[in-house]
Amino acid sequence: MSALLEHDEHLERELSGEPVAAPATGSLLLHIAIAAAIVSYYYINITHNVWGGPNTGGAIHVNLVSSAIPLPSDQPPNQQVLATETPSVAPAPPEVKTTIPQVDEQAIPIQGKKIEPKPKPQPKQQQKTPQQVQQNRAQYGQEAASNIPRAVQGQTNPGPTSITQGDFGSRFAWYVDAINRKMSTVWNKFEVDPRTPKGARVFIVFSISRNGQPGNPQIDRSSGSPTLDRSCLRAVQRVDTFGALPNGYSGSTLNVSYYCEY
Amino acid sequence: MKTKFLLPLIAPLVFTSAALSAQDWVHAGTNLGNARIRLAASDFKPVGTDPQTPVLKATFDSTLFNDLQNAGIFDMVSKSMAPQALPGSPQEINLAQWSAAPANSEMVAFGALRADNGRLIVYGWLDDTRNTANPQVLAQQYSENASQDMARTVAHRFADAIIERLGGGLSGIAETKIYFVSTRSGSKEIWAMDYDGQNQHQLTHLGSTSMSPRISPDNSRIAFSSLGKEGWSIRMYSLDLGRMVSFPGGSAGGNNFSPAWSSDGAKLAFSSARSGAPEIWVADASGGNLHQLTAFRRADVSPTWNPRTNSQLAFVSGRTGLPQIYTMDQDGANVQRLTDGGYAISPNWSPSGGMLTFSWDRKYGPGAPGGYDIYIMDIASKRWMQLTHDSGVNDFPCWSPDGRHIVFERRMGRRTEIWSMLADGTQQQELTKAGDNFMPNWSWK
Repeated sequence: MSALLEHDEHLERELSGEPVAAPATGSLLLHIAIAAAIVSYYYINITHNVWGGPNTGGAIHVNLVSSAIPLPSDQPPNQQVLATETPSVAPAPPEVKTTIPQVDEQAIPIQGKKIEPKPKPQPKQQQKTPQQVQQNRAQYGQEAASNIPRAVQGQTNPGPTSITQGDFGSRFAWYVDAINRKMSTVWNKFEVDPRTPKGARVFIVFSISRNGQPGNPQIDRSSGSPTLDRSCLRAVQRVDTFGALPNGYSGSTLNVSYYCEY
Repeated sequence: MKTKFLLPLIAPLVFTSAALSAQDWVHAGTNLGNARIRLAASDFKPVGTDPQTPVLKATFDSTLFNDLQNAGIFDMVSKSMAPQALPGSPQEINLAQWSAAPANSEMVAFGALRADNGRLIVYGWLDDTRNTANPQVLAQQYSENASQDMARTVAHRFADAIIERLGGGLSGIAETKIYFVSTRSGSKEIWAMDYDGQNQHQLTHLGSTSMSPRISPDNSRIAFSSLGKEGWSIRMYSLDLGRMVSFPGGSAGGNNFSPAWSSDGAKLAFSSARSGAPEIWVADASGGNLHQLTAFRRADVSPTWNPRTNSQLAFVSGRTGLPQIYTMDQDGANVQRLTDGGYAISPNWSPSGGMLTFSWDRKYGPGAPGGYDIYIMDIASKRWMQLTHDSGVNDFPCWSPDGRHIVFERRMGRRTEIWSMLADGTQQQELTKAGDNFMPNWSWK
């Protein structure tokens, strides 16, 4: 099309300034408007960091609880994966040792052969390697299986429950026993840091409503080990019901003071 | 402005008006108390001269003792160690006799039984022998028609009451039933029996082959797969009505097996080959809303729901070759593998939601010893425990509702029978003795 323009009109187009003021201001205003829109969008829709906040923020909540078989066991925990009804008190058979037969060169004297005294072998430095339990081999020797924890492992020191206030403990000792049993089935000892000193006790208090549901667990006296404290509280939270409160008891709730001993 | 001053006045009133009813305190702790409760079940005292009384009493006594022994949580005092006296009421019992040697019992169950003109009347008590001030733990009274069945039922109920009281809130299983397949009538039909093997009776009379019965959570219907004119289909038998009821959607494709109820009774999962390879399908309990969950080209069979949450299923899949146990969410996502080899089949999820039981041949292959055994596995840690060994081919394990027992089928030689055991592999006992019996399923309550 420009080929059709006359030469003069070309020159006229070159010499007269292009009208740039209006488009330039328009462009500047447009840029400013876009920038303002972006900034205002950011300020209006600003989302505060939800990480670690009270709501889950879409994260998956994982409850890692290992279950126990709800049966009592008299055997201590071991690595045996094979259940047997007849655990043997005999230890597992020893490993077969292959020995190289020692050759005695002086048993049959040979004429003319000088026997050089053998140099006494230096006592080898025995490296005492700790016995590694092989992880890919089932332990045998007919131990009772205890690979999956059983509720209520055998108790070494049975004793009477201590009851102080009120007469609930003397009237309904069986219910206090039931509380003990239920708590020992749900308390996961492996949640506790193994550096916790043996015999450390955390005292917690909770209430039991009429239908047996525990509520409001709190730490009464800490043991000094936060993992032990937390594991004891979690144990109460895991209990659905202790069984309905006895009919002969007239209160609406029962307050329980419980200790978890490592 | 006014509310600013009202709130601090109201708040203390609200907080101090919490319930102030009388409350007792109890102190308890770990490492106290014994592992197993030593329980003595005394023979009940016969009352009256009705000729039915001794017969019913014998049934009642033996059933009560067996129920308490089967529970797995008691150390039962054997009858030869019990004192000679037969206490019939709390006034007659001498607790010192029962807590002393050789009985050494912590608890004693006793009572009186009499048959009276066609009625069976039983009074039962459970006493704590060490608590002489307040010994009574339970007092129960039953009145039913006099018959062997009701004598057993009353014994079951009393045993359940004792187990519930002393067993930490878990209900007893003495009144639960087991549904299984038997060939006794000539064809494979669905049968039912009590949890201890008593009262075995036939339910279906279809004349064809029926397999894998699964009772619904409300004990109203049994879903099973049956060979009919459309091939293998999922069919329903109603226990309430005593006849078959319809289940639409269970027959398409002709290869529908292993139904599994969710614990709320709303959904039924099963494996169906209607789209080609066997996949897991889910339908509502009425048969509607049928949709597919798995879509891998190899077989996906034997679903079982997580009864605690109903949000997961475990199933068997051949996607890596030999059958292995997998879990997935109830929409089919998040498939996780649980077994690491061998040949694993027939998973069943425990009522607590934390464990699976299944049948596994860990050394599958030519030249390997073979033979399946029942295993349980803790799902969170993937630790497993082998419960049976050197005892035939064990398959189709099923948990009891209390999570303490497992029922399974065992084939030794030519016969296949149903066995039950505690969940730690002890106390294995054979429940069926006649014919071939397999694929047991424990009722939910």
